[in-house]
Amino acid sequence: MSAHDIDPQLDRALDAALAQALRAPGLPRGFRAELDAARQRLEHINVAQVRARLQDEHREQLATLRADFVRIRRTTLGTLLGTAFAAGGGTVLAMPWLRAHFGPVAPALIAWGGVALGLLLGAAALRGVLGPQAR
Amino acid sequence: MNTALGRPETSAAEVLGLLRRGAREQAFARVLEDYEQKVFRLCCALLGERTEAEDAAQESLLRVWHALERYDGRAGLSSWIYAITRNRCLSALSRRRTFDSLDERQWDESPLGPQTDQTLPEASDGRLQQLRDLVELLPERPRQLLRLYYFEDRSVSDVALMLGCPEGTVKTGLFRARAALATLLERRGLADPSYWQEMTP
Repeated sequence: MSAHDIDPQLDRALDAALAQALRAPGLPRGFRAELDAARQRLEHINVAQVRARLQDEHREQLATLRADFVRIRRTTLGTLLGTAFAAGGGTVLAMPWLRAHFGPVAPALIAWGGVALGLLLGAAALRGVLGPQAR
Repeated sequence: MNTALGRPETSAAEVLGLLRRGAREQAFARVLEDYEQKVFRLCCALLGERTEAEDAAQESLLRVWHALERYDGRAGLSSWIYAITRNRCLSALSRRRTFDSLDERQWDESPLGPQTDQTLPEASDGRLQQLRDLVELLPERPRQLLRLYYFEDRSVSDVALMLGCPEGTVKTGLFRARAALATLLERRGLADPSYWQEMTP
């Protein structure tokens, strides 16, 4: 039998039989209650999950900020110490040449120059901390 | 289109109105009133196994609940709900195929049938079951189509909406499915119309 020559009588009988055999299944008992329970469970889990995720994110951000702060302080301190030692070392090495050119006042000149530079840098830093831009 | 309760189906505008007023619960309640049964029947038709269909229907409706706030009314409400349901069922079918190919399990544990449907009056000579078994022998697509067509009281427009395809495609598919079933009957010597007429009340 091809798709085009179904016996009309068989087709009608089959249609009626199929309508009986393939009745629409009813909703299972307690379907709505289970759905509501699942919905509530999911909502509850979601709120808890969101809260936990936000707390985790907050903790991570705090830890990152703290690490960055410590790193910056270390870098600053390292730079300051490094610069101071390099300057001191350089001055000691250059002292014979400085004495030869500027005479016995060279150490005092360098010391006063260092003090002036330090004061200048300190003032600039204080201006940056207390100035209007920092507020 | 009307619901079984005789009132018009909840429209997208109605649901959107409720959502705008912040009445998500109420909107979902309206959706459930109209689509709970249909979603379950669609799952039954596509999956053919009651327990699995129940899980799929539950999960589909949960997905609808979750996505309801994002529903913007661009798609029709029913099309949107059925699309969510179909996607869930397709995932289940694809998982089943993978699982089947792994252990060649036969899916006849609790198919849709009288043993699981208390509302179905059973013919004493088992011809209804025989017919159901024959339908199960059809390829997947015609099998799903036949089930849904009869679940939906032979409404081609409803079936088309639920499957997301044109009515013409449904009609052609149904014709082919019935022809394939008739061929099966012929091969088994069951093509005598009187055999099936006798059981018709």
